[in-house]
Amino acid sequence: MEIILPKFGLFFWTLVVFLTVFFLLKKFAWGPILKALNDRETDIENKLRSAAEAEARMKTLTAENEKILQEAQSERAKILKEAGELKAQIIAEAKKEAQAEAAKELANARRVIESEKAAAVAHIKQTAVRLSIEVAEKVLRYELADKTKHEQFATQLVNDIRLN
Amino acid sequence: MNLPISVILRIIVVLVLAFPTLARASETKAEGEQSGGFNVTELLLHHVLDSHDWHIVDIPTGGGKYFTVSVSLPWLLYDSEKGLKFFFLHGHTPEELNASAAEHGYQIDGHGHIASLTGANVVDLSPTKTVLHILMVALVMLLLFTRIASAYKARPNQAPKGAQSFFEPLIVFIRDEIAKPNLHGKHAAFVPYLLTLFFFIWFANIFGIMPLNSNIAGNISVTAALAVLTFVLIQFNGTKDYWGHIFWFPGLPVPLKLLMTVVEIVGLLTKPVALAIRLFANISAGHFMVLALISLIFLLGKQGQSVGGALGILPLSLAFSLFILTLEVLVAIVQAYIFTLLTAVFIGQAMESHDHAEAGH
Repeated sequence: MEIILPKFGLFFWTLVVFLTVFFLLKKFAWGPILKALNDRETDIENKLRSAAEAEARMKTLTAENEKILQEAQSERAKILKEAGELKAQIIAEAKKEAQAEAAKELANARRVIESEKAAAVAHIKQTAVRLSIEVAEKVLRYELADKTKHEQFATQLVNDIRLN
Repeated sequence: MNLPISVILRIIVVLVLAFPTLARASETKAEGEQSGGFNVTELLLHHVLDSHDWHIVDIPTGGGKYFTVSVSLPWLLYDSEKGLKFFFLHGHTPEELNASAAEHGYQIDGHGHIASLTGANVVDLSPTKTVLHILMVALVMLLLFTRIASAYKARPNQAPKGAQSFFEPLIVFIRDEIAKPNLHGKHAAFVPYLLTLFFFIWFANIFGIMPLNSNIAGNISVTAALAVLTFVLIQFNGTKDYWGHIFWFPGLPVPLKLLMTVVEIVGLLTKPVALAIRLFANISAGHFMVLALISLIFLLGKQGQSVGGALGILPLSLAFSLFILTLEVLVAIVQAYIFTLLTAVFIGQAMESHDHAEAGH
């Protein structure tokens, strides 16, 4: 029977000791421990969140890098294309200029040739005139020795004049 | 506060041994205290009941003499005439104690109840064996958990180490699995109490399993004190709905309301009573089982007269008591868990506010 009857002394001391332990532990153990656990949990949470954020940032960064790379590539292609066009244009212009120059040279040459030719023709004509005059003089000199023939020729000349 | 556990344990042992009148050497015990020789009931009760000395072991020295290792504890009384009285009594048998008490003006019966010879009212507030053991448990808790707390402070936001790693899952379990689901968002205020309760009961139970002739939570006074605290916490956290359900049950005709008030008040009291009895009965039952199984050796051995009987039962008795002791290790933590969980559940129920009209309960 005694075993199931609470004794006041033990009951009282259990209350006193238990409550003392509770208040001491609350202040010096559970408080700091629970706070440390909470702090650590929030710390881990924050770190996980910032890691996720960093990952997302990395992703956008990679995407941006790719975009920049693509832009650079297209820029390069554009520049190369432009350079090619420029080259072709320069070559074409150079060709045109060269052609024009050549044509001018050719024209000049032609003109020179023409003038040279004209001069040569004139010279030839002069020479032919002089030679023909000399021939004529010689012929005349030979012909005038015969009077009749001389008259005949004169007549003929007169006839010719008439015809003209 | 960076003492290793082994040093803490040594300090406790030294403190205990330094307590007055340790070992009374060579004391003659009444041979075979009763005519029948070995009295199991007395042994069981002597172990489980609280006492004014911590009787650890009697070592036979031959010739019916024993070397008794025990710690005599002082008496502390509140006397309605003389105020607080503090004294040591000498002797071990009820007669010796009674004679010693008479010098102080008191008498002690065979059960250790003390009364004044002058007829004054006496309240026994003695620091008994169990009080000493509770103090030891308290000391272990204080040293252990302040040490763990300083480990948390020393290494903030880092993984736990050593004792921290052992106790952290338990602390987190009590916070997240006992307090959080039951206390409706107000758990933070109760977690320190629940932690203290859980570890106090668990450590006390473990202390009781150790062969120190200790029995803490197997004392109804101890479990009653814990249950009373739970009861107080329940009432102090009761909402209007809670009190409404007790004194004026909603949705019932008036005669039934009156009947329900009686039922609810009984229910109010059964909760802590059940808590106290459950813990007390579980722990003392374990002690009884182990002691009874060990006693079988002495019963069948007829106090050394039948060696064959003792040897015959020995393997069975040891195997069974080993089994029960192993079970007790489990019971130690399970009962601590149940007491803590039910405390949280009861407080949570009182905190609930019922938004819906209930048809019945």
